[in-house]
Amino acid sequence: MKRSVLMLLFLALLVVGPAAHFAGASESPIRMAVLQSDIHQLAFWVALEKGFFTKNGVSVDLVGVFKAGPEIMTAFSAGELDMAYVGEAPATTAVANKAANVVVVAQVNTEGSALVIAKDNTAIKSLADLKGKMVAIPGHSTVQDFLLRKALKNARLNPASVNIIVLKPPEMISALRTGQIDAFIAWEPHPSKAATMGVGQNLATSGGMWPGHPCCVLVTDKGFIAKQAEKVRAVVAAHVQATDYIYHNAEEAITIGVKSTGMDEATVRKAMQNVHFTYEINVEGEKEYVRFLSELGLIRIDNPDGFVDQFLQPKILRDILHQ
Amino acid sequence: MSIRLEITDLKKVYAGNTPETVIDVFDGMNFSIQQGQIFSIVGPSGCGKTTLLRLIAGLEEKTSGGILLDGKSLTGCDEQVGMVFQEYALFPWRKLVENIEVALEIKGVDAAVRRTMAMQYVRDFGLEGFENAFPKELSGGMKQRVAIARTLIANPQVVLMDEPFGSLDSQTRNVMQEFLLKIWEERKDTILFVTHNVDEAVYVGDRIAVLSPRPAGILKIFDVGLDRPRNRTGKEENRIKSDILQLLNASAAVRPPS
Amino acid sequence: MKGKRIIPPIMLLLLWQLLSATGVIPAFKLPSPVQVAAGLADLIGTGMPPGHLLHLHVYYSLQRVLLGYALALATAVPLGLLMGWSRTVCAMIEPLVEIVRPIPPLAWIPLSILWFGIGIKSAAFIIFLGAFFPILLNTINGVRGIEPVLIEAARMLNAGRRFFFLNVLVPGAMPSILTGMRIGIGVGWMSLVAAEFTGVRQGYGLGYMIMTARDIQRSDEIIAGMLVIGAIGLGIDACLQLAERYLIRWR
Repeated sequence: MKRSVLMLLFLALLVVGPAAHFAGASESPIRMAVLQSDIHQLAFWVALEKGFFTKNGVSVDLVGVFKAGPEIMTAFSAGELDMAYVGEAPATTAVANKAANVVVVAQVNTEGSALVIAKDNTAIKSLADLKGKMVAIPGHSTVQDFLLRKALKNARLNPASVNIIVLKPPEMISALRTGQIDAFIAWEPHPSKAATMGVGQNLATSGGMWPGHPCCVLVTDKGFIAKQAEKVRAVVAAHVQATDYIYHNAEEAITIGVKSTGMDEATVRKAMQNVHFTYEINVEGEKEYVRFLSELGLIRIDNPDGFVDQFLQPKILRDILHQ
Repeated sequence: MSIRLEITDLKKVYAGNTPETVIDVFDGMNFSIQQGQIFSIVGPSGCGKTTLLRLIAGLEEKTSGGILLDGKSLTGCDEQVGMVFQEYALFPWRKLVENIEVALEIKGVDAAVRRTMAMQYVRDFGLEGFENAFPKELSGGMKQRVAIARTLIANPQVVLMDEPFGSLDSQTRNVMQEFLLKIWEERKDTILFVTHNVDEAVYVGDRIAVLSPRPAGILKIFDVGLDRPRNRTGKEENRIKSDILQLLNASAAVRPPS
Repeated sequence: MKGKRIIPPIMLLLLWQLLSATGVIPAFKLPSPVQVAAGLADLIGTGMPPGHLLHLHVYYSLQRVLLGYALALATAVPLGLLMGWSRTVCAMIEPLVEIVRPIPPLAWIPLSILWFGIGIKSAAFIIFLGAFFPILLNTINGVRGIEPVLIEAARMLNAGRRFFFLNVLVPGAMPSILTGMRIGIGVGWMSLVAAEFTGVRQGYGLGYMIMTARDIQRSDEIIAGMLVIGAIGLGIDACLQLAERYLIRWR
């Protein structure tokens, strides 16, 4: 009795084993992630909708839609992702703290955030008025965190004199409405949503605080690009096409934006006006991030320039654009 | 001497859901206890001796009949009635002396005064040195002495004792009987003493009521009439014992304990 | 003999260090004990977020837990004594208790913030919910577990309501109450970390500290923070055990 069971198992393994191997070896989709309700990453959704990935010969598996950048970086650590659209600041921090090993292959957008105060707030007229107030950021070491501190410094205000707390962007709007916070800074479409809901108004846009600042980037796992550079290239190509498409087909882009963020058309339209979609990698901006994160003590890098050189990999992008 | 406790036509029925489950515990019990007497009650197990005590104590309600203390009707738990339980029922979280002084504490007696009074009992009852011990550290005999002290310190008019020495071994039992008698000689409390041990009833009681099986009634009340200290193996004592035993056996044959 | 109990954890630590040092466990998945120790040093000296030192995080977290726990004690013990004693009261309140009890404290976070705002009150509320039910249920059981003969003895000694409550019910139920208290503080302390994820004023709290370390991917500090949380929980329980040993030394 026992012998026949063993024989059966052995046979099963013989069949299943190679089959699994072959099934795995054939065109496995690229595992990707994006952020939830983030209009910055519209290019991904456009590429998906218009079939740009397939046209470039690859299939993409959206493994996860995450609530914040650090969670995407954790997924990279766990080996669950090949590529992702993510904020440049969390990506920098993760790599600098040796938690994940990714490189940037294209920019996704610059600007596209805003500092929002309550609609009926008459007390706060400028950044300097934020002294002693409570301001919410999406997380430490995020782009928005950096923007806020930079803007406060420009207004000659010590960031320590402002009560900075961390909230998830969806909670920011209700916190603003119930008066638990005086202001928040978040990525689009949340500031626009606050405006269309009649809850908030922009005190400053991120473009106003730091013109042309980099925001989201397209990253890939270092191990993945080493083994499957052609696939990375295909995704970058699709990303470039999608980004161009947004410029030439604004209305259609808005429709796709509504579908992907789940927000209403008026909000998406307003949000997109605040975002600059681009694929050109902003090197100076990244260097400023590294300086900022080091100053705050969130990362420790001996050779900042060397780090940036390793982290930003514009070669594939340049090849595509030269064609 | 006057009558301290009088029981007239006492009935107790536990009403059940069906006629079969109605329990008739006593069917009209009558007896009285003189002041300063030790009144023993013996009977087969399950006949309702404990229920009788609990009715007098006020822990359960009678169905009908009279319970009179010094001529006045008793209702509920009267503070003039004290009870010593077979399981001692000492408060485990209180030290020995704190257990003794509970009744005084409840009355609102000043702390120093009640402590002095309780310590007197500690000395008189041979518990010196253990006043700060917790009940878990005491032997069975000691615990029962504390329980008795706890009851007597309140000077109740009637002391009910429900098989107080039932949990003790026979050596300690004898010692405790003598202890009880010694205390009683000085205080002359009125005691209603329930036991299933005939030897004990004869050694301790002035009068002994013998109960029949359920529904219990009094078969006979014996007047012991012997001087103390009694002889555990004396001729007179043995005669009374055998009379009681005969009575119990006869009633068991007629109505086997249910 | 007490020394022997330390041997298993130390062996585990050595094994962990060995596995990390040889690369069997990669550093980004699980930092080595040495790295965690360095992370702890950072938490103490530099702080996370930088400038927010560990001892202040501990202070604020303890404050929140203490408030929530004190509220739980003050409400659950008296209510439990009442419900344990009176069948009618118990029948009235028990259905409500049984409906609310299974809801995890963390599920209350959005409501809590809505009602109490972002701050110590909403965090204390979450902890209150976590600690309340174990204390309540154990108190009720404690009262029900008092030997009936003790209650009768008290009646025979003519105990009034107040004496009964303070000198029979409370000490009689105390062993169970203390058990409930130990379970309650355990649950409360565990709920704290998650309660602090959702926003703390002043930027101090152990949960907040760990969340920030997570945001910047400092897993050495995350683990160091977890160990601190565990150690404090252990310390609190040890204190309660000491109190228990004294309060029910009569057992």
